[in-house]
Amino acid sequence: MRILLLAPAAALVLAACHEIPQDAAKPYAGKADVAPYEGGIFNGDKQKFEQALAERASHENEYLRTGDAKK
Amino acid sequence: MARMKFICDAERCIECNACATACKNENEVPWGVNRRRVVTLNDGLPGERSISVACMHCTNAPCMAVCPVDCFYRTEDQIVLHDKDLCIGCGYCYYACPFGAPQFPQAGAFGLRGKMDKCTYCAGGPEENGSVAEFRKYGRNRIAEGKLPLCAEMCSTKALIAGDSAVIARIYKTRVVTRGKGEELWGWTVAYGGSDKVSDNLGGPSA
Repeated sequence: MRILLLAPAAALVLAACHEIPQDAAKPYAGKADVAPYEGGIFNGDKQKFEQALAERASHENEYLRTGDAKK
Repeated sequence: MARMKFICDAERCIECNACATACKNENEVPWGVNRRRVVTLNDGLPGERSISVACMHCTNAPCMAVCPVDCFYRTEDQIVLHDKDLCIGCGYCYYACPFGAPQFPQAGAFGLRGKMDKCTYCAGGPEENGSVAEFRKYGRNRIAEGKLPLCAEMCSTKALIAGDSAVIARIYKTRVVTRGKGEELWGWTVAYGGSDKVSDNLGGPSA
């Protein structure tokens, strides 16, 4: 009998212990943005855009110039 | 699809502040706002280390989660941007951000806050790419020009590197193997979850 009474009471008390998820996907409410490769110099060519970024990133590796990296 | 990230190498950063200066100049960031800044620990003591800090464009961005007007969005390249037309300057994102990235210009007397400003990864915002409106609100859109953020491209010691996570992790790995130390990727566990060891991040984005 006591268990029958305590179980709902415990459920009620513990109901406040859960954490509301704060990273739920919320819709973006602002203005739509276009992809960076739309228009401009890439004119919708995504592959060319990605190649350009990859090439710029390769310039950040000075070992490509000096060639003294350990393999 | 690329997953744009920053790596700051504490073994290389010499606290020259060129990244912060380049960012201010390139984006014409207003007075009092610093999208990027250099933080130094143990200044003047043995073991001193400096780190260049800005928005890390987190996987589960806390700013995005707490924004009451939902003005944040993520681009195809996983860059976290926001719409200044929607921002109400409440400051919740500033309190939520583990990197202190959101900045607020003083918009008037009594500490009135203006619209939030933060690093855009030089990717502008929700205006026409390369337009005057985009530049005025968000700064230069170098990504649309096929360029990387100027802070990283300007870094003289290449302590700060930017680009697709798989590409920059490989660059960093080469560096770590060559010098034989400093495998930790500063801020990556907080921003992207998972491991902060470069050897665990070579396969590209985990999330």
